[in-house]
Formats: sequence, structure tokens, C-alpha cells
Amino acid sequence: MAKKLKQIAIYGKGGIGKSTTTSNISAALSKMGYKVMQFGCDPKSDSTNTLRKGEYIPTVLDTLREKGSVKANEVIFEGFNGIYCVEAGGPAPGVGCAGRGIITAVQLFRQQKVFEDLDLDFIIYDVLGDVVCGGFAMPIREGIAEHVFTVSSSDFMSVYAANNLFKGIQKYSNSGGALLGGIIANSINHQYSKDIIDDFAAQTKTQVVEYVPRSVTVTQCELQGKTTIEGAPDSEQAKIYTRLAEKIAAHEVSHTPSPLSTTDLRQWASKWSKQILAAESRSIAGAC
Amino acid sequence: MSKVIEQPRYSCALGAEQTVVAIRRAVPVLHSGPGCCNKITSLIGQGEAYAGGSTIPCTNSNERDVVFGGVDKLRSVVKGALQVIDADLYVILTGCTASIVGDDIDSVAQEFRSAGKPVVCAETGGFKTNNYRSHETVVNAVIDQYVDAHRAEGGVQKGLVNVFATVPYQDPYWNGNLAELKRVLDGIGLKANILFGQESGGLPEWKNIPNAEFNIVASSWVGLGIAEHLKKKYGTPYLHFPYLPVGGLETSRFLRQVAEFGKLDKKRAEDFIGREERKFYSFLERMADFLLEFRYGLPRRFYTILDASYAVGFAKYLVNELGILPARQFVVDNTPEEFRDEVRGEFAHLSDRRSAPVEFETDGGVIQQKIREDENKTRALILGSGWDRDLAKDLNADLLILSVPVEYRLVLNCGYAGYNGGLRVIEDLYDRVLGTYR
Ligand SMILES: Nc1ncnc2c1ncn2[C@@H]1O[C@H](COP(=O)(O)OP(=O)(O)OP(=O)(O)O)[C@@H](O)[C@H]1O
Ligand SMILES: [Mg+2]
Repeated sequence: MAKKLKQIAIYGKGGIGKSTTTSNISAALSKMGYKVMQFGCDPKSDSTNTLRKGEYIPTVLDTLREKGSVKANEVIFEGFNGIYCVEAGGPAPGVGCAGRGIITAVQLFRQQKVFEDLDLDFIIYDVLGDVVCGGFAMPIREGIAEHVFTVSSSDFMSVYAANNLFKGIQKYSNSGGALLGGIIANSINHQYSKDIIDDFAAQTKTQVVEYVPRSVTVTQCELQGKTTIEGAPDSEQAKIYTRLAEKIAAHEVSHTPSPLSTTDLRQWASKWSKQILAAESRSIAGAC
Repeated sequence: MSKVIEQPRYSCALGAEQTVVAIRRAVPVLHSGPGCCNKITSLIGQGEAYAGGSTIPCTNSNERDVVFGGVDKLRSVVKGALQVIDADLYVILTGCTASIVGDDIDSVAQEFRSAGKPVVCAETGGFKTNNYRSHETVVNAVIDQYVDAHRAEGGVQKGLVNVFATVPYQDPYWNGNLAELKRVLDGIGLKANILFGQESGGLPEWKNIPNAEFNIVASSWVGLGIAEHLKKKYGTPYLHFPYLPVGGLETSRFLRQVAEFGKLDKKRAEDFIGREERKFYSFLERMADFLLEFRYGLPRRFYTILDASYAVGFAKYLVNELGILPARQFVVDNTPEEFRDEVRGEFAHLSDRRSAPVEFETDGGVIQQKIREDENKTRALILGSGWDRDLAKDLNADLLILSVPVEYRLVLNCGYAGYNGGLRVIEDLYDRVLGTYR
């Protein structure tokens, strides 16, 4: 039986932990025996660094710029445990159109039928922080990824970015676009953080796939140019990433989320900030 | 969904490349996709001139220039143009892609200027607006980035005026029209800068723009943006004459307004006007017998499918001096809302007794349909473009091609403005009519 390729896109606010989470998912999936490609869709082109000892690889667009054409095998590099690493790349900051760059890079791969030839089980797109234009919505549009996961902390800015992403998913959902698999809650070390993200998931009719705590193990491994899975395979954090990867491997059906309107989102946020403030003044009062 | 406009009679903003082509020894450098300028010149161009049409330097930008920005390629194309094309001014114009991507063309032009090269730039991304508007953008860009730094010495000169009357090539008769306006303005004692075409003084004339005593806008609305700019920048006042003056009455009216506005020597102006009128009407007198006998052979009504300046100018002339009556009048230049009332006002007072409603419509297909559905009992004259030839044929109407695309006639120095232009209208009109006789 021909196996089915699962294509997943990871979105979230800039700096929230997308690349870290994605790389750990890739690493965990590959250790489970799957063939994985991680496709960095970010002009910074640092998505796959921790899969390759902190090394940068030549990007699709740099190669296109230098040579005028690109053969897929020129820009696919093997990383940890045989994971295929690709970086779309992009223009220098402040010039050109990075969004078009993502479209160009992804289309180039699709035309060359690389995914079929490599007999992949998973492609994971790690997409630049904020969906600033149509180009960055490319992976959620028709025929690319089928499941989107968003990495979010309980910070409001991060939740806003997730809500915006939900709007994008909703928009493309009628035309065969990707649907939402759920939220990967990152840096969740307090109960109130968990409550906030749980409430947001409930409000928008989606689920939290996993709660990933903020952990110094991640930092230590990153400094060695490694994922947590590679650098600290027996750590508690690695177990969490593995559990996350298993859930993603088992995930079958995604849904259209119900993003909050801008006013509803603001009201929701102010309700939570009042609660947190009240809780804090109680704890300060208690400490005196 | 956006509406499809059939046969629009003007181009996208990049059409202002023709404005540059019309400046002697100036060359446009397009930062656009391949083919844009060919499309434009096939609509609003006849003849490639010095470096227009398919010889325009162009970055032919492609996907790579979108992703990484096209500034490097633009720089190399400008460099090449400077080496290969002998010109005094190079004007970088952006097409849609470069404008969407947001290439920093200003810094490229600035680099070349710092190195002493006459390079200026303007944003003319096709989606931004049309070529009427971008004509103003480009002229103002040349003023700001080139003229200002090279202003001719001597300060404001008495009697020096800049004339903004037509959009070169968008008005197929721009060269002839400007030449005639210059002739009559010089005749009443002014020194007219017409800035475009063979009869202009080229770039030395441009450098004199800030030294004008006043500016003249002889057009419904295009050019006001330039005159306003010059008023702010150099304090130059301007006179607005809101249509193209065609024939004896209107040209004299135009000249008298100018003379009064500029406080010119009245006697000198009136002497010139008198001489010109005598000449103008003497030709008609000489033909009086023929014109009288032939009066039933002429079309009785005219349809207009023209831009606002031409529409008003021709309507006044045909009604007041030739006795042809207005049928439906269509203004096709997408006249900005704020100028429409003035155009309506002109049509409401074509003469003391005659008025005509006017419709603002950019869709040539819609216009032709409306004209077809009209009564059409008597012989009609259509003032339109080459695209209206089939319509004219079907209605047995006479067609005078005054608007782009011209297609079926060659334009050298022909113009319809002024006294000479008025005579030319009569010649061409009778030419069409007599041509149908066996
Ligand atoms: N759970 C975690 N524990 C500790 N550190 C973390 C965790 N998640 C992310 N980080 C750290 O946060 C920083 C930013 O993470 P990362 O680069 O993965 O974010 P990103 O969302 O991909 O950012 P960008 O939008 O810039 O691509 C990194 O230094 C990473 O090590
Ligand atoms: Mg990242």
C-alpha cells in the first residue's frame, strides 16, 4: 500500500519557538522511523540549524539567484538521523518580496515532484512569524499542507498572532486550504498560562495538542547546535516533544477554527488581564 | 468582481513614458516587465521617436527581480543606457511589479545624480492611476529632481510663460496643437515654453520653467496638478482656460483672457487677434458659395467620444462656427469627480442658446452601444478614435479620428488647436464628406 504523505505547517508569532518545536518534532518523528523533510519558509533561513549542528545551508532562493535555476537535490541537505533539510531563503531584509520568494521556492519543489521521489512520510513547513502577506499563506493554501499547528505561549501578542492565523485558515478553508490541527502551547510553566491558552482554544473551537514547558535543557542543546531529542534524549523535555510528535503522527482530522473578532479578542484579553492582576495583588498581599 | 472596461481610450500610469519621449533628448528607462511599453505605444504612440517604442531601455523584470528586488538590474540598465544612448535626461519609470515590490528607485536615481548624471525617477506603477494623472507625476518629478537643480539664471522673466495644454501622444495631435498655441501666444507678445516636441526648446526650455512670469493651463483638468505644484514651489501664478481652444471665436477668447491675466500690451494683442481673425475668416469667405450650396450635405449632428478638453473645445467650435448640433456627448478620460461639474457647466453653455448633456463613460463598448441605440435619422459626425470606425460605417456616419488609438491615419504636424487648427477641422470634415461622393 502506498503510504500517505502528511504535510504540516507550523505557524506562530515571531520568536515564539516555532523552529525549536518543529525541529524537535522532526527529530522525534524520524526516531520513530518516519522519513521526514523540514522545510524552512523564513528568509532568516535558520529553521533547520539545530538539525545540522548549528550549520546554515544554502537556500533555494540563493541558489536560484546564483545559478538561475535550481534542481531540488542541490538544496536538500541531510540532517540529524537522515532528516531532509530545506531552507527557502529570501531576499536581504528591506528589499524584494519575501512572500513571493516562499511561493517560488515551494512551487519549484512541487513541480519537480521531489516529495514523491523521496518517499517521505512527513513534510513540516516552518513558516516565518507573522503572516504579513499572501506569500506566507502559501503553505496553508490549496494542495500544500493539510494540517496547520500554531505554536503559542499565553502572551497576548502571541495569542493575537494565532487568532490572525485562524482568520487566514478560515478564509482559505472553503477553497481546499489547510485546516487547523490545534495549538502547541509553548513555555507553559504556570497554571494561569495553561488556563489562558485553554480558554482561548475553547473560545476558538480548537484544541491544545501539548503543553511544552520552558526548559533550560532546550537552551543547552541549542547551544550545542542540537535539538533536545538529539542532545538530551532522556530528559523530561525530550519525552514531551516525543509525546507531541506521536500525537501529530496520529492526528487525522483537522477543523476550521472560529477566530474571535478584533473587539471580542480585546475584551477577552482584558478580562484575563484583570483576573491576573487581581490574582497577583492577592498574592502580594498574602506575602506581607 | 471588478468590471471589464472595453476599449478604454487611455493607458495605465506607465503611459507617461510617452511624456518623456516627447521631451527632446530625453529618454525613459522602464523598470517594468517585458512588453509593457509595446502595449502602450501601440495604443498611444505613432513612431518611436528618439528612444521610444520598442527601443526603450527596460529592465524586463522577471520573478527573480520580484523576490530579490530589481534595484541591481535597474542600476545596470541605467548604466547601460548612459553608455549607449546619447541623451540629456534619463527618466526611470516603474511598472506594476517594481511598484508592488517597492523597489527603492529614488536611491538609484540619487546615486546617478550624485555622480553628475541627469537621472530622475517617478513611480508609475500601472495599477496606481492612468496616464493623464501620471503625466503630471512625471512632469513634476522632472521639475523637482532635474529642473530645480539646473534652473536657468536671471530669475523671473517678463512675458515668459509655460503652457500645459495636452498630454503628448495621448493627444495624437499634441505636437501640432502645441506649436499653434505657441505661435498665437508669441503673437500677442509672450514667450511661450511648450516643453514638448519639435517646436519646443527642449531641456534648456525646461530649465527656464521656474523663471516664468505665469503659467497657462489650456485643458479641462490635466496640467492643473503641475501648475499648482509650480505655484507652491516657485510662487508662479497660473491661468486656467478649461478646454482646447479651436477656431476663431475660442482662440480669440483664449488670447484675450491670457492678455488680461498677464496684463499684456492690449493694443499689440488686439492687433494680432484682428489679423488672425481676418485671415481665418477670409478662407471661409472665399469658400462661401461652396459652403452655402453644400450645407445640406454636411452631417447635422455630432457624437463625441473624446477626453474632456477636446470634447468641450470641439463642441464649442462645431456648434458656434459650423452650425452642427450636439447629439450624445461622451467624455472618456475618467475625469476626476472634482472637475466634472465644470465640464458639465461648459456643455450647459455651449452657446447662448445651445446646451448638451454630457456623460462620463470610460467604456468604449457601452458608448458605442448607446450611440447605436440612438435615433440616427440624419447624417451624423462621430468625433472619436480608430476603434469607432465600424460604428461609423454601420451608421453611415462620418468619422473624424481625434483620439487614440489613431490607427487609420498618419499624424505628422497636424493640429486642431487655434486658428489654424480650426481651418484644419473644416478641411478634414469636408474631406470625409466629399470622400463619400461618387
Ligand atoms: N520550550 C522552550 N524552552 C526554552 N527555550 C525555548 C523554548 N522554546 C523556544 N525557546 C527559545 O526561544 C528562542 C526562539 O525560538 P525559535 O527560534 O524556535 O523561535 P521561532 O518562533 O522559530 O522564531 P522566528 O519567528 O524568529 O523564526 C530560541 O532561542 C529557543 O531556544
Ligand atoms: Mg524560526
